[in-house]
Amino acid sequence: MVKRSEKAKTMRKLIKAIWIFNWFNSCGFTELIPLVGSRWDMERFGMIVVGTPRQADVLFIAGYQTLKSIKRAKKIYDQMAEPKVIIALGSCTMTGGMYWDSYNTIKRLDDYLPVTIYIPGCPPRPEAVFEAVEKIFGHVKELK
Amino acid sequence: MINQMEPAPKDTEYDLYFGPAHPGSGNFGVKLKIDGEIVTSARADPGYLHRGFEKLMEYRTPIQNAVLSDRLCVLEPLNWNLVHAEAVDELMDIDVPERAKYIRVIMAELSRIQSHIIWYGAFSIGTGFDTGFKMAFGYRDYVLDLFELITGGRVYPAGYICPGGVRRDLPNGAMDKILKVLDQMDEMIKLEELENPALDARAKGVGILKVKDAIRLGATGPVLRGSGMKTDVRKEEPYEIYDRLDFEVPVRREGDAYARYIIGIEEMKQSIKIVKQALEELPEGEVIAPKFKKPKVSVKIPEGEVYVRNEVARGEAAVYMVSNGGSTPYRCKIRGPDFLHMIPVLEHLLKGAQIADVPAIYWSLNICPADMDR
Amino acid sequence: MDTKEPKLLDEIKSKFNVEGRIQRERRIWISIDKERLIELCTWLKNQRFEHLSAISVTDWVKEGIFEVTYHLWSYKDKILLTLKTKIDRKKPVIESVTTVWEESAQIHERELHELFGVKFKGNSDLSPLFLEDWHALPPFRKDFDWREYVREEHYDKEDGREVVYYD
Repeated sequence: MVKRSEKAKTMRKLIKAIWIFNWFNSCGFTELIPLVGSRWDMERFGMIVVGTPRQADVLFIAGYQTLKSIKRAKKIYDQMAEPKVIIALGSCTMTGGMYWDSYNTIKRLDDYLPVTIYIPGCPPRPEAVFEAVEKIFGHVKELK
Repeated sequence: MINQMEPAPKDTEYDLYFGPAHPGSGNFGVKLKIDGEIVTSARADPGYLHRGFEKLMEYRTPIQNAVLSDRLCVLEPLNWNLVHAEAVDELMDIDVPERAKYIRVIMAELSRIQSHIIWYGAFSIGTGFDTGFKMAFGYRDYVLDLFELITGGRVYPAGYICPGGVRRDLPNGAMDKILKVLDQMDEMIKLEELENPALDARAKGVGILKVKDAIRLGATGPVLRGSGMKTDVRKEEPYEIYDRLDFEVPVRREGDAYARYIIGIEEMKQSIKIVKQALEELPEGEVIAPKFKKPKVSVKIPEGEVYVRNEVARGEAAVYMVSNGGSTPYRCKIRGPDFLHMIPVLEHLLKGAQIADVPAIYWSLNICPADMDR
Repeated sequence: MDTKEPKLLDEIKSKFNVEGRIQRERRIWISIDKERLIELCTWLKNQRFEHLSAISVTDWVKEGIFEVTYHLWSYKDKILLTLKTKIDRKKPVIESVTTVWEESAQIHERELHELFGVKFKGNSDLSPLFLEDWHALPPFRKDFDWREYVREEHYDKEDGREVVYYD
């Protein structure tokens, strides 16, 4: 039997199938809707969208956040149960993107919430989300 | 026996925040005061997406603004590109070549079709008709593949319609592909028009807006046409080549959610007709004015002011641009249709409605919060 | 060009003391003093200018004035008329047009109050619309250096990658 740390044990529970809470955002979410549709069906991988953060494993932050909405996002993140993961979509979460000089958007999501994986693009294609989820699974398998 | 019982107790009032994290709403919050099952008052809470767009545009040249203008409303980027490009063209007095005008109209109408498909899908899922949502978003991908072929991006075309014309010509084989996609759209509309008694029961007679109220509250576009007034910016002050094309403006008298939903489907049919006519008459020639052919990043805008109105998928859009001779606009005010639909019209319609009708009313107004907050 | 635009402009000039010009078909631009604004607006509404398209404020810092513009559209005659008035920048107060166009004017004025700081007398609701807990100057004024504000709040000069935003 392999000895694993507590963190690795809780994270391995994620590997089966992940349930997503879609924090309905700005521009990024238009490329998340086709994921639910019939062309890039995500339900065949076990991913479904749930209506409440208490049942979710993954929080998708898809796009720029303003000062008003980052406070609500933090409250939602606190309500999720362990193990939880944040996926940040789009270039606005990394450097501020197109709105780098706007007085109301935040420039780096890492200052406010702990991000697990970034997906670049403006907006990124739907297949990029599948690749990101696969990378998370690979990372979790290697945790000791 | 039940008629002889005492009525229910009186203190059944509570507050409900139908907010952005709710799966049935968009990026927008509404504070509802509810008494039992009836909404007594509603107050809109915007501002989740405010970026200060008008101020961002004052620091960028017109060519850079063309790329920024697609992000005004993510659900119909090419239509907003067109409004901004027309404002700069009029201010700088540029002659746009004929072929560019036809291509602009084709792209704008395809974007309108794609936006109405999203409206149909969102309205279906709001009233519980899940199959309609999946079907709509399945067919929408054909149009997005076409955008990727012509402009380079599925969602954001990177300022394809820029001041002076369009950035590049249609590639080889694009015209045949457009005709094939239009046939698939015809197929989709046949499926959408099938009767669905559950949707009818949820949408008929719900959220009635009378004509006098609509004009007083500032509604435009399909919301005003659903209440009985025949008006369309493309017919009243034709821009580009709309005065040479033959199309109708659908109008209904009832003013309820079902009437607005039917207008969405009828408008898609008219857009298909417009694209077919424009493709037949497409002339040869240049696609961009000579001044913007070798892209110089900064050109001087002459002094003056201009107000341009257009019909985007959601209503009347306008840009008021003032320049004092520099290379960036001095003031650029953007008027979107959703600013009026989401605050005065929604508060008026939700008063007195039942809780179960709130999603049907909300999604029948075809809202886009990004356009309201700018 | 029809004869409608010159006829309308001459009628307005004879009744009120204004300066006006016709820019092209369907566009009339009129400048008026703020004292007679409400009277002209009421007269125009009776002439079927029922649709208030937008209200906007331009900040002319050098001359020290705010210029308020009202864009009106008539469904019957299909003409767009723009009214321009000037108010003082240090004490920006003006009468509200909610007595004429009701709710559609109220929401535009609420937005301008928050972003420019202009006070509209007679508007019943001027509470903040977009910004929450905003403690600096009204952001759309020209003397609010917002790139400086963004650098202070969000960027860090010590960080090697963000030094480029400081030149």
